[in-house]
This record gives sequence, C-alpha cells and structure tokens, in this order.
Amino acid sequence: MAERPLLLGRRVPIGTALGRVGLALAVAFGGLALGAGYWQVIRSADLSSSPDDAAVIAASRQVLRGVITDRDGKRLAWNARDSSGEPYRVYADPSLSGVIGYSSRTYGNAGLEAAWNAQLSGVASTDPLFDLTRKFRADPSDPEALQTTLVLSLQEAAVKALGDNRGAIVMLDPRSGDVLAMASTPDFDASALANPTTAAATWSSVNADPNLPLLPRATQARYVPGSIFKIVTATAALGSGAITTATSYPQQPAAEKTGLLVDGFRIHDGHHPETDGTALKFDEAVEVSCNEYFALTGLRTGGAALADWAARFGFGQSLPFDLPTAVSQVTNGGGSFGGGFSDEVELANAAYGQGETLVTPLQMALVAAAVANGGVLMTPHLVMSATGRNGTTDVAPSVWRQVMDPNVASEINAAMQLAVNGSLGRKYTFGAQVPGLTVAGKSGTAQLDPGNDPHSWFIGFAPADNPQVAIAVVVEHGGLTTRGSPIAGEMLQAWRAWANG
Amino acid sequence: MDPAVLALWVLRLLFLGVLYAFLWSVVRVLLRDLRVAAREPGAALGRLIVLASPSGEPAVGTAFGLDAIATLGRDVNNAIVVDDDFVSSAHATLTFRGRAWYVEDLQSTNGTFVNGSRIEGISPLAFGDELQLGQVRFRLDRARP
Amino acid sequence: MTSGVVAARRTLPRIALRPRLRRRELGLLLVVAAALVVGSLSLGATQRTLAAHLNGDTKPVPLLGLANPGLLAIYLGALALAHTVLTVAGRRTDQILLPTVGLLGGISLLLMERLPQTLAGGLGGLAQTQLVWLLLSLGLITTLAVAVRNDAWLRRYKYTWAAVGVGLLALVLVLGHTVNGQRLGIAVGPFTAQPSELLKVILVIFLAGYLSENQPLLVEESTRLGPIRLPPLPYLAPMVAMWAMALGIVVIERDLGAALLFFLVFLLLLYVATARVSYVALGLVAAAVGGFLVYSLLGYVRTRVDIWLNPFADPNGAGYQVVQALHAFARGGLIGTGLGNGLPLIGGNLPIPALHTDFPFAALGEELGLVGILAILGLYLVVIERGLRIAASAPDEFRAILAAGLSLVVGVQAFIILAGNLKLIPLTGITLPFISYGGSSLLANGLVVGLLIALSDRGAELPPPTPRRGNRLRRLVDRGAA
Repeated sequence: MAERPLLLGRRVPIGTALGRVGLALAVAFGGLALGAGYWQVIRSADLSSSPDDAAVIAASRQVLRGVITDRDGKRLAWNARDSSGEPYRVYADPSLSGVIGYSSRTYGNAGLEAAWNAQLSGVASTDPLFDLTRKFRADPSDPEALQTTLVLSLQEAAVKALGDNRGAIVMLDPRSGDVLAMASTPDFDASALANPTTAAATWSSVNADPNLPLLPRATQARYVPGSIFKIVTATAALGSGAITTATSYPQQPAAEKTGLLVDGFRIHDGHHPETDGTALKFDEAVEVSCNEYFALTGLRTGGAALADWAARFGFGQSLPFDLPTAVSQVTNGGGSFGGGFSDEVELANAAYGQGETLVTPLQMALVAAAVANGGVLMTPHLVMSATGRNGTTDVAPSVWRQVMDPNVASEINAAMQLAVNGSLGRKYTFGAQVPGLTVAGKSGTAQLDPGNDPHSWFIGFAPADNPQVAIAVVVEHGGLTTRGSPIAGEMLQAWRAWANG
Repeated sequence: MDPAVLALWVLRLLFLGVLYAFLWSVVRVLLRDLRVAAREPGAALGRLIVLASPSGEPAVGTAFGLDAIATLGRDVNNAIVVDDDFVSSAHATLTFRGRAWYVEDLQSTNGTFVNGSRIEGISPLAFGDELQLGQVRFRLDRARP
Repeated sequence: MTSGVVAARRTLPRIALRPRLRRRELGLLLVVAAALVVGSLSLGATQRTLAAHLNGDTKPVPLLGLANPGLLAIYLGALALAHTVLTVAGRRTDQILLPTVGLLGGISLLLMERLPQTLAGGLGGLAQTQLVWLLLSLGLITTLAVAVRNDAWLRRYKYTWAAVGVGLLALVLVLGHTVNGQRLGIAVGPFTAQPSELLKVILVIFLAGYLSENQPLLVEESTRLGPIRLPPLPYLAPMVAMWAMALGIVVIERDLGAALLFFLVFLLLLYVATARVSYVALGLVAAAVGGFLVYSLLGYVRTRVDIWLNPFADPNGAGYQVVQALHAFARGGLIGTGLGNGLPLIGGNLPIPALHTDFPFAALGEELGLVGILAILGLYLVVIERGLRIAASAPDEFRAILAAGLSLVVGVQAFIILAGNLKLIPLTGITLPFISYGGSSLLANGLVVGLLIALSDRGAELPPPTPRRGNRLRRLVDRGAA
C-alpha cells in the first residue's frame, strides 16, 4: 500500500494561493487607506473644530488669555500657572466678579470673560488669512489684551458702599457711554473659582448661596423701579407734548388724602403735608415724588406714547452692550389698551413705576445718562481697546439714540436737581448730596408684595450743569428708609476723588 | 510667515519624504527581483527527455519542462503521465530543492532506477543522470537558457 | 543518502562563516538612518520651539538638533551591528525585512520619545524602556536569522508546540490579572508578559506542521453537505477546535483581538494549504455564528460593538477613546501636525490614555498626516509581501505554510488594530506590531521576523524527506495507489 505523496492533491499551486491571500491583504490595507482618508480629509475640518476636540479644549486651557486692565491701566485679570504648567486666571478683586465674571477650566466663562472670549483666547482674528496660515505659525493663537472703561477704585467703592446688601450699582460717563463701575452684590471670589485647586469647592459654595452671587444683577436682574420710573414718564409726557412744566392737576391735592379714582380703582399715595392743598406743578411733583401727579400724567400721555418713549431708552429689547442684558419692560404686554397695557389702572400705576414695570439697573443708568447728556444716549460699553499682535483696535464712543429734545432734557435735569437739593425733595434724597458738587437725581422706593421690604433706588448724575457721570443704585429690599441715595452720594464722592486724580 | 516655523515644516515634510524614499527603494528592489525571476521561469529548472518508451506514451524524444515538483505515474493526474504496464499509478516524484534535483520512489511496485540501480526512498539526481520507471527511460537535462 | 542528510544535521553546530556582502540591506539601512535622523531633527526642533513658547522665551530657538541623540545613536548602532552580524554569517537571506522592520521600530522610538515619559516603563521612562525592548528584539531577529538552519525542531514537535500553546492559555487563565476587563497579562517580576503574543507564533508553527502533514487529506472531498463538498469529517476537527479556542479566548480571557487574529490566520493558512474557498466560506459562517453568540451573550462584546456603531453617542463616556482617536486623525489632516506637535495635553494628560499600546496609529495619523500613514501602511505591506514571497519560494509545504503564517500573523494583527483605530471594525486591544509599546509584542514580532529571514535562506539545509512514519488515521482514509 503506497502512501500518497505530499503536494499531489493540490489543484492550485501554492504560489497562486499565496498570491490570492496577498491580494486579499492588499485590498484590506487599501480599505485602511480609504478609512484614513475619510477621517483625515473628508471629516478633518468638522471634527477638528468641534468643541469635543482635544486640541480645541487644550488650546483654550493652554492659551494665555489676554490681560484685562481698567481704564487707567491697572490690571484687573491676568494669568498664573498651575503645577502642570497650564495657565489659570487671577483677578484683582472680588468686586469685579459681577462684570468681568470668571474664566474657569471646569466651569466655563462668564461676564466679560465670556462675552469677549474669542478675542481674549485669541481664536478669533480679524485677519482673513489667519486661519489659512494658522498651521504654519509658531504661535497659532493671538490673544488680545483688553483695556476696559472700568475704574478699579470705583468698582471697589461700589461694592464697599453696598456692603452686606444685595444690590447693584452702575456708573457711567453719559458723554461717551463708558461704564466706570458696574457692581453686583454679593460678589464672589472669581480667582478662587478660576484656580484649579480651589475651583470645585468655590463652585459648590457659590452655587449653594441663596443670595445668588453668580447673578450679575446690574445687567441681568429686573426690579420694580418705583418712583425713578417717573423720569421715563416725564420724558414721554414732556416729549410728546402731553404736559408742560406748568401743568398741574386740580384733583391732585384731594387725591392725596382720598386716593385717586381711576376706572373704579383707587390709587393711594402718601400725604405730602408740605404741599397741603396746593396743586403741584411738574418740578414740584418730581421734587416731592407725587404719585398722583404722575398717574394723571401717564393717563394723559397715553399707554402707546409711554411705551414708545420707554422703548427709545431701550425698554423692550436687549441693550447694545458687551454683556448680555435682561429686557426691561413697562408692561407685560398683550393688553388691548394702548402700548400693551391691559387697562387704565395698570397704565396709571406704571406711570409712577409700579404696575408690571420691571427694569435692570443698567437700563435705569441709561435713563439718567440720556437726561444728563441733553437727550443723546451714547452706546454703553465696557471695552475701550483691544491689543493683539497686529496692534491696538480702539472702540470709539458712539451715539445710540437721540432719546429726547435737549430742552426736554434740561427741564427734567432742573426737576431732578430740585429733587436732590430742593427744600422739599431733600427729605427723600438728601443723602445723594455731595458738598461742592451739584447732584441731580431721583430716588425710588419700589413697593413689593406685602411682607417684602421695598427696593430702594436712586438714579442721577453730576455735576448737574455739566454732567460727567451718571449713576443708578438699587438696594434689594432696602426698606422704607431711603438707602439708595446715600450710597449714590458716597459713589459720587469717590468719583470726584478719582476724577480729580 | 515665520521663517523658524517654515524651517520646522521643511524638516517635517522632509521626514515624510524620506519615508517615501525608503518605500521607493524597496519597491525598486522588489521589481528588480521580479524581473530576474521572470527571466528564469520556474518551468526551466530542468528538462526530462524521453529516451525509451515501448508504449509510445510518452513518445521518445519528448522533452518535459520541469517545475520545482513533478510527479510521474500512470494516473492521468500526474504531471508526467507514463503509460506503461510496469509503472504504478503514482510512481515517483521529482523535486528541485535548494539547488539540486531529487527523485523519490513512492513505494512503486516495480521500483525506480537511477543510472541502472534501484533507489530506496529519496535520491539525488544530477543532470545527465538516467532515470528509469518500468520500461520507460528518461534523462535529466539542464534547462535551455 | 538519507544517512548523509543525518550526518549533515549532526555537523550543524560548526557554522562555516563565509562573509557575504548585503548591499541592498546596507543601502536600505542607510535610507532608514537618514529617515530617523531627519525625524529626530524634526521632533527636536518642534520640542525646543514648544518648550521656548511655554516658557515665554522670544529668543529664536536653535533648530538643528536631535531630539534624543543617545537613544537614536544606540538604535542605529544596533541596526548596524545586526547588519554586520548577518553579513559576517554570510547566509543568502532576505535583505529587505531587517531595514523595513528597523524603520518601523525607529518610528516607534520617535513616537515614544515624544510621549510623556511617565506613561509607562520601569527603565527610566517610556522611550528608554522601549529602546531596550527594541534592542532585545533586534538581537532575537539577528540570532534567529543566523542560527536557525534547520526546521526539524519546529516541524517534528508540532504537538509539543500545541501543548505549550495550550499551557500558555491555561497559565493566563490561572495567573493572568485583569486589565481593562481583559485577562491579558501574566506578571513576571516588574513586567507584564502578554502570552497571546507568543501564542500567535506557536499557533502558526503548529498549523504549519499540521496542515502540511494533512494537506492531501484536507483536500479530499468525501463528505457532501448539499451542494458543498467537505473533506472527511474527522478533518474538520481542527477547524472546530480553532473555532472553539477562539470562542474560549473571547469568553474566558475577554480578548477579542487575539481571538479574531488567531481565527483569521487559521482560515487564511487553511486556504493556502488547500486552496479551497469552501473552507474559508465555512469558516466565515462559523465566525459569524460565533460572533452572533458572543454578541448576544457577552455584555462586554455588545458594548464594544455599540461603541463601534456609534461612538459619538457618548463621546465623553464609553466612546471617549475611540472618538478622541478619530479626532486625532482628523487633526492630522493631509500632512499632519509634525512630530511632537500633535496630541494636545489636557491638564498634563494625553487625550487618549492607552495611546502607546492601543492607539499609536492615531498618534502617527495626527503627527504625520494621511501622507505619513499611507507610508506606514506601505511598510506593513512590504513585510507581508516579503513573507509571502519567502513562502512561495520555500522548498516544501511546511516551510511555505510557516513563512506564510508568520507574515500573515503580522499583517492581520496590524490590520485588526488599525481598522479598530479607524472605526472600520470594533476596537480590540491588540498591539500594533513593531510600533506599540511593550516587550511581549516586540519580542514576539522579532521572533516572527527572525524566523522569516532564516526561512528565506536559499542555500538552507534541505527539508527532511517525506515522513514515512505511519499515521493510522491517514492510512484509513488514504486510498492506495497501484
């Protein structure tokens, strides 16, 4: 029995079989090449620019963000490096937290750090060739340093003046729209939030705080305005010609005692004993802050006109500002009565700042600034200039709107001076007086639901004859005693100290 | 563009270039090997010339070009079919191993002879040697160039 | 004559040294040296530029300077030494494998130099440890290429090798510790050995012996299953055994990659040995059935497959590594970021934790771009081509199947991990031959290359004559001639 030798049963030579196996592997490797081509060419752009991309994440962590300075060149935010060499942010003072915000590796960006993130981290550039040549650059990102309009000393003074209260202060230059101070209390330690070793603990404690320190109140919080809204009503009434400064209402003195009957609803006001029996004119009504006078004025002006004139100040829209702003409103809207008011009662209440009217502190600072600047409202802004590799770009002051005629502005200016300095008005707003500086202003006490202390407001500007600074102050639940005015006075003194160098 | 960065990129692209230079040199070597292999086809490892064949299958004078492995026997599946009554169906195998030819007798009934002597198992086969299966005689010749 | 062969084998220890120039190898090694020097220059310049940038230096950086001259010099010296030893030994062996593998190893060294050195490695950092393994691997290649002149020890003891393989598997089962849910390693002192790397070589040796011996029977068509003609049923046993072993590796050791590798190499070798497409088809059906079974029964396999199908569903969780690898490829684009300039560190950590073992290709894809990746694919194809050509010119079936198996085990392993990196197939945790960090992988692949070079010897000792030893099973089936 012979054994069958090897290789004899083979039909296909081994070389051919090997060739086929080799071909199969070559095809498989061709598939790999196609796969690599798909990811590296077709999907290259969208994957490598997605926020999940490690390079995008690393770049944002590696990049030395631009330094932020105040208008005098004092550093507000700069960088330090942790043990692994990655930079993190350091801030000059917690008082800046409400406006500069923070930039944290873990918790993202807020405030100016978020709004100008692209420029600060250098991923955005004005140079169209930049993206094309990015790969061939030694330093592919171009972080820009920002010089802000802020004044560090005023910012610190604002937080100090607000003390333990929750509240906000906005101070700006009405001639340019430069925001000099923008404070929100309580503040928080943004440096601790940015430092990787303390970030987690700070984040949880800040989030657990019932006083909501992370809320930038100056731009994002909406408050009932109370009497300071009378300046808006006055602008609408005088501007539309519904009243003149000589207008008075015969029913007003009686209504102070019995209440003003509007559409079957009685509007009450505190009694002004000093003016007992006299029908007040415009100046005096502003000076004593007479609710009845402005309710009647609002009714005479009409809802549509009041809403229109409020819109000129910026109500009903996001403000053109570096930071996102909450929308201020005169009414919830949707009502059939003019301007979206639901009825005369709401309109009459809104006219002296109650009703459904809600405002941000920045919006009210703009109201003061428009009056101060002869009716011309400048665009508010925080950044004066950005300096990158290719030089410095200035942000020029720009006119946003002509809100009212200059003569209307000067009439309101005069009434607001009286409110601070007049013999009757002093009772409510004397705290805003600064020796040697003529302050014009209007205080407000925003009545809230029963059981809640009212918000205390002040808006104003100085010097009254040549306004260089406008201010809005709100102290949440500041109580019946007017606390906004003395804080404003304190701030204006600080401003004068800064302005005089 | 930054000249230092440009220099960096020259180095980077040069690295990729040298990788391809390597592949190119390898491919050149492989192609040369293939051309050399094509010039000396496997069939020309040797020739088996029929010296005597009583049955006429294969015919006398036939020259078989030899692959590295060739089987001889009566079965039609053999590379070289030897139709002789004294040849087994799978009689012997010729293999070219390394640089020499070997013949292996597959335990055939009547045996395989090299230069007249019967072989056991495997045996080298030099060019010019005479190989006999049954009544059929062959001579192993060098392949013609 | 038979006694002559035996006599030749007895005189084996006396190796006559007849030096023979290896011009092609030398020329290719010079190109390899040039590539590695340029790569090191590129890496060095990039690293210095980045360091200066991080420190805020604005002074111009000296550009020309190697990244790590010591390591490069040692590696190039080792390549030169290997070449010299092969030259002095004077065997007419393959001259392309050593430079090709040397280039892949050099690329690996460059990659390890630019990764954080603390990633792994006990011998003073990642690159240094990898260099030690590369040197040992080169030593192994050279030793085998010079010393292996005879394959009897592989051929004759195939069942012994099979037993060693099974023993290794059992060892992993008993001693293996679990890494990332996979039972892959055996701790040997401070090192962790991955027996599956050695196992693949043993498997190929066993298969070469088994298939070459039983090849004539495997091509018989005595069984019919409908239209399919099958070999005698007993000879389906190895296929069933391989299938069971692959399943066992998946189930018990949770090593999907090794199972896939072993089964694919087995199928390809079965095709090489028998040229029967029906086997491959049958094997693929079996693989599909097995795949379905493990998918439906094993949670970890299902997770792998789900991640593969949609890694972007959970880009920061389960799909994190796969997604980050794809991002790395995407960042590379056509020409890459340049060596040392990719792989952004986040908080000092690499975006892909297992980069040095499982995703070196993604790193190279980012830093060398599509252009570089295609070159590396080409290098693997060269290794495969050499192996298959050595197989095709082998003097007998055993050596042919052995050489084919050795080159396939490298080629298929590279394919599995590369396809996994590129999301063409589910990701499995096997290494990229010659590039991945790790001693087991480098030594096992060194073993493969060393054997291949030895097998390529044109003047090698002849294979032994066809075995006469009776095989009962074979006799039973074999139909006698005459």
